[in-house]
Amino acid sequence: MKLSSLLLPAFLLAGPSLAEHTSNWAVLVCTSRFWFNYRHLANVLSIYRTVKRLGIPDSQIILMLPDDMACNPRNAFPGTVYSNADRAVDLYGDNIEVDYRGYEVTVENFIRLLTDRVGEEMPRSKRLLTDDRSNILVYMTGHGGNEFLKFQDAEEIGAWDLADAFEQMWEKRRYHEILFMIDTCQANTMYSKLYSPNIIATGSSELDQSSYSHHADNDIGVAVIDRYTYYNLEFLESEVKDTSSKKTVGDLFDSYTYEKIHSHAGVRYDLFKGGAEEARRRLVTDFFGNVQNVEVDSGKGETNASFEEEMVRLSRTIAELHTRAEEQEAAKRNATASAAKTGKKQQQPRKIPRVAKPLTDDNWWTKKIVGATALAGCAALWGLGSYLEGVV
Amino acid sequence: MRQLFSFALLSFVSFSSLLSSASAAAADYHEQLVLRPLPLSALLASFNFRSNTSLSEFEAHNFRFFPRSLGQILQHAGTQELHLRFSLGRWDSESWGARPWGGAREGGTGVELWAWLQAATDEEADHKWLTLTNALSGLFCASLNFIDGTRTTRPVMSFQPEGDHLNMTAADTHLLYGVLPHEVVCTENLTPFLKLLPCKGKAGIATLLDGHKLFDASWQSMAIDVKPICPAGAECVLQIELTIDMVLDIDRSKRPRGNPIPRPPPGHELPCNTSKPYHAPDTCFPTDHQANQDWTLSQIFGRTMKGTCPLTDPAVPPVCLHVPDSRSVFHSDGVLEKKNLDRVSRCFEIQPDVDFEIVLPAPEDESAVVVKPETPLLYAERSFTGHGQERGGVQTILHNPSPDTEVEFVYMESLPWFMRIYLHTMSARIQGQTAKDDSLIKEVYYRPAVDRARGTQLEVRMRVPPASTVFLIYDFEKSILRYTEYPPDANRGFDVAAAVITILSPAAYNLRTTSLLCSLPTPDFSMPYNVIIFTSTAIALAFGGMFNILVRRFVAADEGPEVGLAALKKRIQERVGLLVEKLKKGKTGNASDESGTKPDKLETVDTAQSIEGALKE
Repeated sequence: MKLSSLLLPAFLLAGPSLAEHTSNWAVLVCTSRFWFNYRHLANVLSIYRTVKRLGIPDSQIILMLPDDMACNPRNAFPGTVYSNADRAVDLYGDNIEVDYRGYEVTVENFIRLLTDRVGEEMPRSKRLLTDDRSNILVYMTGHGGNEFLKFQDAEEIGAWDLADAFEQMWEKRRYHEILFMIDTCQANTMYSKLYSPNIIATGSSELDQSSYSHHADNDIGVAVIDRYTYYNLEFLESEVKDTSSKKTVGDLFDSYTYEKIHSHAGVRYDLFKGGAEEARRRLVTDFFGNVQNVEVDSGKGETNASFEEEMVRLSRTIAELHTRAEEQEAAKRNATASAAKTGKKQQQPRKIPRVAKPLTDDNWWTKKIVGATALAGCAALWGLGSYLEGVV
Repeated sequence: MRQLFSFALLSFVSFSSLLSSASAAAADYHEQLVLRPLPLSALLASFNFRSNTSLSEFEAHNFRFFPRSLGQILQHAGTQELHLRFSLGRWDSESWGARPWGGAREGGTGVELWAWLQAATDEEADHKWLTLTNALSGLFCASLNFIDGTRTTRPVMSFQPEGDHLNMTAADTHLLYGVLPHEVVCTENLTPFLKLLPCKGKAGIATLLDGHKLFDASWQSMAIDVKPICPAGAECVLQIELTIDMVLDIDRSKRPRGNPIPRPPPGHELPCNTSKPYHAPDTCFPTDHQANQDWTLSQIFGRTMKGTCPLTDPAVPPVCLHVPDSRSVFHSDGVLEKKNLDRVSRCFEIQPDVDFEIVLPAPEDESAVVVKPETPLLYAERSFTGHGQERGGVQTILHNPSPDTEVEFVYMESLPWFMRIYLHTMSARIQGQTAKDDSLIKEVYYRPAVDRARGTQLEVRMRVPPASTVFLIYDFEKSILRYTEYPPDANRGFDVAAAVITILSPAAYNLRTTSLLCSLPTPDFSMPYNVIIFTSTAIALAFGGMFNILVRRFVAADEGPEVGLAALKKRIQERVGLLVEKLKKGKTGNASDESGTKPDKLETVDTAQSIEGALKE
């Protein structure tokens, strides 16, 4: 009795929370290789530390690092990456899981990751296993331009590619809401082509604006962080201390000023359901933190019935597919059988030797005789030709 | 009835306790750290973690010390035996001597993987290999999925299974070997490694494993070996052995972590060589750095050891130190020091919850600082010869230091497909002789490369006579890659995996050469863009010219309008005249017109037209 009275408000609360997310994922992508792009890796790793601090586990973070800065021979501080010249926080730390690294960070792999079009051998840790109740933070940094972002100085992803990937995710019900952040030159052009719902997008600079680095560390020898990421982090570190923080995404966006970032950071709300007002009301921890809203099944007969119906329909489809596959198999078997009957020669798969062969002198004489015969034959032909020429 | 029940319960309890005791006997775990100071202020630290699980329990998915994540991968991929290596740096055998574990626990630079897979056909083995490499790539955060057909070989002579395979037949067991010489090894590889340990790096010797020190080492190798072992008359066990070997530079390790860059000390702190004649208060000749062999565990590893892992076998001392008995070593309380009979090593028995620390003061006796390292059976060094971008050669120098024993070994190379070797140029000669010596090479297994499909595999069984040096050389040609086949950092060069040398006699010993960096001719990657720009320009010029010819009327110069200063002056005058006229009109219009804007508009249109007309003229 008591239990039910306790549960009742919970059920009532569960009602409005149906529109909420039940899991948080983060896709953190650095697209720059080479030592002088140290700051881009530091950008990504500082966001990685932040989302980890706010509770997203490594299994739900996809981290893409195209180069190795921590163990780079040029790094005077082996095993570390710092995003500040005070070197207070080692971003690489003792516990880090990089999912895609080195040459694996390509446009193809990134789009395959988002859309989950991967081979069956792909391990789970390298997949984005989200559903329609997952909030995803997509953070990208690197070198870009008008409607493109370079990957490892070798290829580019266009704004349309990104927009289409997000649309495919939406169609496959792979996200609930997305916060897309990008720190690169002319970053705002990258999200200008997005057209899928429930995406809040923000970037560091407008068209024809560069995105600048914040400061350099003289012992590391290169710039260590970009301005936009630096001030994002400043806000997240000072205002969002833990997952109970009530700071909203709007507060975060309001903290961007031209004086700090040296470029015009942009925000796009129009894709979001409810527009700017609704989007600004989302909590920062909805994307950066791991807030697990448990969804309680209502257990009503109707929903169960519809679910059962769906299952029945699904099993029917499966059965149909099974029979179709069997028919095809049978047809194929018949075809091969008839082919065998007609006496047609079956093509044997060519056997390729997999193992190295020993180099031996076993049939040395045979080889020599074959060679000599061939040579003698050629000489005879030539002689015959010149003889015939002389005769004519 | 009740009695019966209690009897059943009792028997069940006793049975289960019997079971658990049996499983405890089959499953065991031990860990050990061996510290071995080496000449030139180096310190070799060998971490070894070994656990056994009975094969039947493993097959029943009953993992105790065996890491479940790895076990499931092995079962899924039908792996009989697995060896995985992550290595970095170069073992300096000239000064450090023979390798730890007889070289059996080390790999070439980068990542190396070899495994015996159970599969009926070659295709099935390939498929399982693909599954295995991909799964391991997810587990160890390494790009092991790049071990594809071009990087996989099936060695014939070089690798022999270490475990006991009772029901293994040659037909259904396949040995596959893959290597990634360019793979970086960093903290993200250590993190999953530590997670495989029963104590997860929270207690015992694993607490000393810190990425900041491990990846600052002069040489390091992380190894994972899984193999079945069948003792006579007992049940087979599956053994997993995790090994980390590293050679730390004591000087470098002692630098503070926040300030690792050596800076010159201020003048008054400089140790001066007072024997120099010019030594004075304002002139100083710095003394040589002493090969300092005084250190403490926390200086070297950045932290003290936190007790012992409670799961470890207490019979095995967790830490051993190889220094001469004459050297004094201090240690923290609650630790029992035991000197071994060989007089050059001692072990420490540690209480489970005591922080362990050892201090080695500077040695009093300069002659007995370190135990003299063992001389290796063979020295090997490999390098490129030749010049230019088209072809080159590889030369391996193999030196047998033993005065009386001949060394026989298998030399294995797995080369990338774009290095096409000329097998007929392969020859071996003894140093000092100019003619090649055919008796040195005993057997050659060779599998030529296929472009973009597989690499070259070369296995040479050869011998080196006592106290002599043998040069093994061959030439190769570099192929030109397709534009899209170049990696983003193509100008850096392409890594060629280390050669694996397996010594067959007089004793089993393994070593690997360093990897090579082969520079291929790289195209100008901006070339396509240049072509596009150039073509566009050419088309624009051609099209523009043609278009002009088609739509313009050409007239002689004297027929056309006047050009020059006079014409410009005339034009300006005309315009000013028009403007004045327009202003006048506007004034009159404003003054007179009250009816509406319509005529006004019309007027402006008129004036616009008239201006246009004037301009055209």
